[in-house]
Amino acid sequence: MAKLPYLGTALTNLFRKPVTIAFPAGEAPAAQPAYRGRIAFDASKCINCGMCERVCAPSCMTRVAKPLEGGEPGDQEITFTFDMTSCTFCGMCADFCAKKAITLTEDYMMTGIIAEDFLVTGKVIKKAPPKPKFTPEQLAAMKAAAEAKKKAAEAAKAAAQQA
Amino acid sequence: MLFNLDKKITEAIDDAASKSLWLYHINAGSCNGCDIEIVAALTPRYDAERLGCKLTGSPRQADIVLVSGPVTLQSRDRLIRTLAQVPEPYCLVTVGSCPCSGNVFKGSYAICGPVDKYRHVDVSVAGCTPKPEAIMAGIAQAAAILKEKRRGMHE
Repeated sequence: MAKLPYLGTALTNLFRKPVTIAFPAGEAPAAQPAYRGRIAFDASKCINCGMCERVCAPSCMTRVAKPLEGGEPGDQEITFTFDMTSCTFCGMCADFCAKKAITLTEDYMMTGIIAEDFLVTGKVIKKAPPKPKFTPEQLAAMKAAAEAKKKAAEAAKAAAQQA
Repeated sequence: MLFNLDKKITEAIDDAASKSLWLYHINAGSCNGCDIEIVAALTPRYDAERLGCKLTGSPRQADIVLVSGPVTLQSRDRLIRTLAQVPEPYCLVTVGSCPCSGNVFKGSYAICGPVDKYRHVDVSVAGCTPKPEAIMAGIAQAAAILKEKRRGMHE
């Protein structure tokens, strides 16, 4: 066998499967676990804190607020848009998201012809804060009335002691 | 002509050309990450050469042009000049996030991207960097578009 040193390897290679991935013909292989791919945004968990927008280095997300149709005055509909052609997939937005609304999926197959192929969007509804029970004027009037009552009571007390 | 022979010959040439896609790669200021993945897509594991792809050294022989990098000030004129030398019909494929948007470099004084400011981009592959499989998918998509373009040229 010394004269044919690679014969064994050559013969075993004849019966081995090809290492080439059949991909464009077959199914795309799955990415490794914890691969950082396309962003998934769960709008129901989002509290609109804006932390993701702050930590994003390429500023790939946009936040557009508009008044909510059919809602109370002050309610807003906030649209988050993540542009995958702008993302570095660093995962900072997912790490900083307090409510875990942003996750990076293992989907890496991001090819497209138009810009809309790469957008991940979600809509968050922001309710207006509840209205206070009394206006500042009413509160001031109530305070003044309470003080006048206290003064009157003190004056009556002093008059009773003198008498 | 007899039996539409000229049409049949054109169809046969188009069919043959669609199975022989020559790639030309332009680095417009890329960090080399996408460039490595393009080369990886040509290795035996992913093997873009199955689709008839071959990396060529001249833009004049290219069918599919792969652009990576955010188009720096220095590379902008060279990119435009090189793309002008590619014969029609060709497909422009951007690889990675940088040529689509500028990625983390957007807003820099030295960045003149994105590429679609200068030329129509046929297929974009997003990712930083995209996996070789995604680049393969982009090339396959570009091949389909190129076939349509070629058919459109004869009509």
